[in-house]
Amino acid sequence: MNAVDYTKEPPVVEGRPALADIDEMVARPLDERPTKKFYIALSITLTMLLIGAVSLGYTLFYGIGMWGNNQPVGWGFDIINFVFWVGIGHAGTLISAILFLLRQKWRTGIARFAEAMTIFAVMTAGLFPLIHTGRVWLAGYLFPYPNQHHLWVNFTSPLVWDVFAVSTYLTVSFVFWYVGLIPDFATLRDRTKSTVKKVIYSVCSLGWRHSARHWQHYEKAYMLLAGFATPLVLSVHTIVSFDFAVSIIPGWHTTIFPPYFVAGAIFSGFAMVVKILIFVRKVFDLEDIITINHFEKMNKIILVTGLMVGYAYAMEFFIAWYSGVNAELFVFINRALGPYAWSYWIMVSCNVVFPQLFWFKKIRRSIPAMFVIALLVNVGMWFERFVIIVTSLHRDFLPSSWGMYIPTLTDFGILIGSFGLFFTLLLLFTKTLPVVSISEVKAVVDGSQPSRHGGETHE
Amino acid sequence: MPDNIEYKKKEIPGSVEKIGWILLGLGVILGAVAFLVDSSRAFFTYLITFMFVLSVAVGALFIVALEYLAGADWSVPFRRIPEFFAGAIPFLALLVIPLLFGFHDLFHWTHTEDVEADKILQGKTPYLNEVFFIIRTVFCIGVWYIFYRLFTRNSRKQDETGDQLLTRKNITLSAIFIPVFAVTITIAAVDWLMTLEPHWFSTIFGIYFFSGSMIATLAAITLTAVLLKEKGYLHPKITNEHFYSLGALMFAFVNFWAYIAFSQYMLIWYADLPETTFWFLQRWEGPMMYISIGLIFVHFVIPYFGLVSLPSKTDPKRLKIMSVWLLFAHGLNLYWLIMPTYFSGKEVPVITWMDFTFPLIAIALFIIIFVIHAKKFNLMPVRDPKLRKGLDFHL
Amino acid sequence: MSKILYGYTALFDSPDGIMAAAQKTADDGFTKFDVHTPYPVHGMDKAMKVKPSKLGFVTLFFGLLGGALAMLFMYWTMAVDYPMVIGGKPLFPLPAFGPVTFEVIVLAATLSTVAAMIALFFYLPQNNHPLHDTDYMKNVSSDKYGLCIEAGDPLFDEKKVKTFLDAAGGKNITPIYNPDPVKYPLLQPRFLSVLLVVALSVSGLTYFTLNKLMYMPPFDWMSEQEKLTPQRTYRLFEDGYGMRMPVQGTVARGFMPYPYRDQPVLEEEGLANPLLATEEVLTLGKNKYNTFCSPCHGDHGDGDSRLRGYFPNPPSLHTPRAREWSDGQIYHVLTVGQNVMASYEPYTTREERWAIVHYIRALQRAKNASDADIQLVRSDNNAR
Repeated sequence: MNAVDYTKEPPVVEGRPALADIDEMVARPLDERPTKKFYIALSITLTMLLIGAVSLGYTLFYGIGMWGNNQPVGWGFDIINFVFWVGIGHAGTLISAILFLLRQKWRTGIARFAEAMTIFAVMTAGLFPLIHTGRVWLAGYLFPYPNQHHLWVNFTSPLVWDVFAVSTYLTVSFVFWYVGLIPDFATLRDRTKSTVKKVIYSVCSLGWRHSARHWQHYEKAYMLLAGFATPLVLSVHTIVSFDFAVSIIPGWHTTIFPPYFVAGAIFSGFAMVVKILIFVRKVFDLEDIITINHFEKMNKIILVTGLMVGYAYAMEFFIAWYSGVNAELFVFINRALGPYAWSYWIMVSCNVVFPQLFWFKKIRRSIPAMFVIALLVNVGMWFERFVIIVTSLHRDFLPSSWGMYIPTLTDFGILIGSFGLFFTLLLLFTKTLPVVSISEVKAVVDGSQPSRHGGETHE
Repeated sequence: MPDNIEYKKKEIPGSVEKIGWILLGLGVILGAVAFLVDSSRAFFTYLITFMFVLSVAVGALFIVALEYLAGADWSVPFRRIPEFFAGAIPFLALLVIPLLFGFHDLFHWTHTEDVEADKILQGKTPYLNEVFFIIRTVFCIGVWYIFYRLFTRNSRKQDETGDQLLTRKNITLSAIFIPVFAVTITIAAVDWLMTLEPHWFSTIFGIYFFSGSMIATLAAITLTAVLLKEKGYLHPKITNEHFYSLGALMFAFVNFWAYIAFSQYMLIWYADLPETTFWFLQRWEGPMMYISIGLIFVHFVIPYFGLVSLPSKTDPKRLKIMSVWLLFAHGLNLYWLIMPTYFSGKEVPVITWMDFTFPLIAIALFIIIFVIHAKKFNLMPVRDPKLRKGLDFHL
Repeated sequence: MSKILYGYTALFDSPDGIMAAAQKTADDGFTKFDVHTPYPVHGMDKAMKVKPSKLGFVTLFFGLLGGALAMLFMYWTMAVDYPMVIGGKPLFPLPAFGPVTFEVIVLAATLSTVAAMIALFFYLPQNNHPLHDTDYMKNVSSDKYGLCIEAGDPLFDEKKVKTFLDAAGGKNITPIYNPDPVKYPLLQPRFLSVLLVVALSVSGLTYFTLNKLMYMPPFDWMSEQEKLTPQRTYRLFEDGYGMRMPVQGTVARGFMPYPYRDQPVLEEEGLANPLLATEEVLTLGKNKYNTFCSPCHGDHGDGDSRLRGYFPNPPSLHTPRAREWSDGQIYHVLTVGQNVMASYEPYTTREERWAIVHYIRALQRAKNASDADIQLVRSDNNAR
C-alpha cells in the first residue's frame, strides 16, 4: 500500500550512471551533427522570427501607429508581452538560485536549462519596452545620461526602475549562468577532438583546472550569487508590478501587486519549463537526469503558485468591495461582466481552475496531461496581463473617454516573433552548450560524495 | 521499518512549570488591575497579546505542515517543538472571550450611530457586523483546532507504531491545510487588525501579518530548541549545524517581512490617496513616529545584520539573542498595528506599565503548555521514518 | 632533462580515496599541493586545511559602495544638478530611490564578486598552466580525482613524493613539466594591421551613424512633421504665415483694463493704491525700483545716477512737485510714460507698479523726515 519509503531519499539521478557516462550523455548533442528534426524545428521558429521581424520593421518605419494602442488604452500588446516574458524568465532563477539555497538537489538536472531560458526570456522581454518607446535608436536615454537640456532621467519613475531592474537581472542571470558553465567548458575542452572547438572551449573555460582550492571559492561565489539572485528575482517582478501599482488607476493601484506578480511569474515560468523539458529530455535522451520526479515537483510548484495567484484574485475582489471605493468596484465588476469578460474568464479558468487537477498524483505524473495544463497556464498568464492592462485602461474615469482596444495584425506578428526569437535561441543553445550542468549532476550521483559527508557508501 | 533510534527521555524539571504558573498568576492579576484602571486601553493591549499567541500557535501548525510538505529532513528532530506550541490553539477559544466584551472599545464599526452617518461604513455592514464577526472567529479557531488534533494524533501514534502511512497521511493533511491556513490567517488579520480602522484597506495585509507571524513562530522554535539542546534534552546527535536551517528561515522571513512591509508602504506613499495614507499618518503622529522608525531597525536592519553571516546561523548563543529579539520585534510590530487606533485624538503616554503585563500571560501560557506536553509526549518523534536522515543532517 | 619540473600527480578512483590522501598530504606538512576533482567534493577544504574563502568581503564592500554611490548619484541629479518636484514628492524621496539602489547593490556585488574570484582568487585565465593538456587534466576533468604536489613546496623531494603518493593509494603517478615560455611581441605587423582595421571601422561606423544615418528617413521623421512651427510658412493658411494673430477682442488671462491711458497726466484722484504698505510689498517695490527706476532716477530717487549728463537729466523724486503728486499720478506715469520716460507696462505687472509707488513714497518720506519720524525710528531701534 505504502508506495514511498520515507527513510530513504529517492535518487536524484536514476540508474547510477558512471561519471564518464554523464559527460557522454550531456556532450553528445554538441558532438553530433544536427538531425533533420532539428532543422525542421529551427525552420519553424525562424519563420516565426521572420514574421516578427517584418512586423517590427513596419513598426519602426511607420511608427507605433501600426499597433492597436489608442487613447485611453495606451498600453497594449507591447507591455503585455513584456510582463509575460519577464515572468517566464523568473522560473529559471527560482530553480537555479532559490532551490539552491534550499538545498534541493533535484534542481541540478534542470537548472542549466532553466537559467538559459531565463536569459532568453529576459532578452525577449527587454525588446518590448524598447520598441514601445517608438524610436528605438534613442533608447540610450533610458539610462541616466543628461539630454541636451541637462535634464536627467526621473529616478522616481517606476519605468526607470524597470530599466535598472531588467538590465541588472539580465546581467546577473548571465553571470550566474556563465559561472556555472566554466567547469563544464573545461570538461568539454579536455574531451573534444576538434581543434576549433578546443580553442573556443579554452577561451570560455578561462583556464579552469578543477582545482579544489578554486572549487572552494567557486562554491562560495555560487552561494553568494544565489543569495543575490533570490532577492533580485523578487525585486524584478516587484518593480514590474510597481509600473502599475504606483499609479492611481483603479485595478492597478493595490498593495498586493508585488507578491502577486512574483507568484504569477514563477507560475508561468514553471509552466514553460515543464513544457520545454518534456521535449528536451525526449530528444536528447536525458530521461535518467530529468526524471518524472522532477516534473512532479515542478507541477507541485505550479499548483502552489497557482493557488497564490487565486488568493490574490480573491483578495483583490474582496477589497475592491470592502474599500467602498466605487471606481475600484466598477473596474472589477467590469472585468468579470464587461466587454472583456471573456478574457477574464479565460484567465480565471486557466490559472486557477485547471491547475487544480494537479492535486491528483496521476495527473502530476502524466506527461500529456501536464503538457496541456502547462500550456493552459501560459495562456492564462498571458491573459492575466491582458486583463490587468486593457480592462483597467479601456474604461477611463470619464465615460466620454471610454474606448476599446483591438490589436492589429502587426501586434500579433510581433507576438509571434517574440516566440520565434525565444525558441530559436533555445534551439541554438541546445546544440552549442551543455543543456545539463555536468559538474553539478556528477556531484549528486549516488556515491559521488565521501561517505562521512552525507554520501552513500561507495562500493 | 526504520531502525530504532536510541532515545532516552529526560524529564523537564517541575520548577519550570512552577515559574510558568507564577508568571501566569502575576499576569492575570496585573491584567485584571489594568482592566479596572483603564478598560479601554487594556482591551487594546490585551489584543496585542491575543494576536501574539494566535500568530505563534497557528504559525507553529503551519511550520509543521510546511515541513511535511517540503519533505524536509533537518526539521524532523525538532518537530515536536512546533507541535507543542500549536497546543495553544485550544486556548485561543478561551483567550478570545475577554475581547468579545471590548467590541465597543476596539471596533469603531460597532458604533451603530456612527455607521448610520457614514455611507462607506454602511456599505461594509454585510461584512462588518458582530454576528458574522463572531461566526468567522469561531470558524477560524475551530478549523485550526481540527487540524491541530489530526496532525498531532497521527504524529503521536507514530511514536508507538512507527507506521510510515501516518507520515503519508500527514502530508496529505498538510496539502489541505496550507490553503485553509491562507484563508483563515487572512480572515484573522483582516478582522482583528485591519478593521480596527474600518475605513482603511490594503490587499497585502493578510500576507503582512503572515510574514510577521512566521518570524515570531520561528524565533520561538529556535529559542526553545537552543535552550533544550543546551540543557541536554535533545538527542546528542543534534549538532549546531541542525540550527542552520532555523537561522536561515528566520533570516529569510526577516527579509520577506521587510519586502512586504516596504511594498505596502511604498505603494500607499507613492499614490498618496487620502483614503489609505491616513493609516500611515496615524503612525507618524507624535511619539508614534519614533516607534515607526524604530520598527524598521528592530524588525529588519538589526536582525538582518545579526543573521546574515553563515556562522551566525549556527552559533547557539547568537541564535538565542536573535530569537528573543525577534519575538520582541513581533510584539512591537503588533503594537504598531494596533495601538495607533487607540491613540488617535488622545493625549496619552505611548508606553505604560500595562504594555508589559499582558505579555506575561503569553509567555507563561507557552511555558506551561510546552512543559505539560513535554511531560506527556516524547520530545522527539522517535519513530518517524525520516528521523535517521534528520539526525544525520550535515551542512 | 632541460625541462623544469612542476610537480608530481597521482590519480584516485573514489572520493573517499582522494579525501584520505588530501588529509594525509596536509598532515605531512605539504602546503603547495592541490586536489583536482570534476566536481566540488564536500569537506575537501577541511581535509586540505585551506582557510575559509574571503570572497564575501569583496561582495560586502562593493555592494555597500555601489548602493551608496547610487543613492548619492540620484540625490545629486534630482536635488542638486536639476532639482525638480515630481508628483509632489520631496527632492529626496527615499522610498522611491529604494528600487534603483537595491538593483545597483546587486549588480555591483555580483560583478565584483565574480571579477574578483576570477582575477584575484584564481589568477585565471592561465591557459599556459603546466597542468593543461595533460592526461592528468583529461582524467580529473571527467571521472577521476587527482592530487598534485608541486615542486615549489619546501618539503618536495622527487623520490619521497613518489613513494608518498604511492603509499597514499595513488595511481598513474606522473611528473609534470613546465612548458617552454612563448613570447607574443606587441609590434607585429599582423597585430598592428588588425588594430588599425578595428579602429578605422569603429570610428567610421560611429561617424556614419551619428552624422548621416540619423538624418535619413525614418529617423528624421520626428523633425519633419506636419505641424505648425513658429517663424515658418504653413500651407494651411492662405497668407502662408505659421504664426497667427489672436482673434479680435481676445483678452489675455488676468487682463485689467486701464481707462486713463489717453490722458497726458492724471489730474484727478481717480486711482488709489490697492496694496497695503506691508514689508513684503515694500521689498517687492524696492526690488523693482532698483531694477527699472534706479538706472535713471538713482538709488535713492535723487536723479543722480551715472546716466546723468547723457540724457535730459532725470528729475529728482524729492522735489515738492513730485512729493505732492498723488499715488495715482505716479502710477499713471509708470504705466503710460512721460516725456522721455517710456511706459513700463510691458515689463512690470500691475501689482509691481503699485509696489514701486509705495517704495517711492517711502524714499520720499525718508529723505524729508520730520522730527516725529526720526523719533519713531529711534524708539523702534531701541525697542529692538
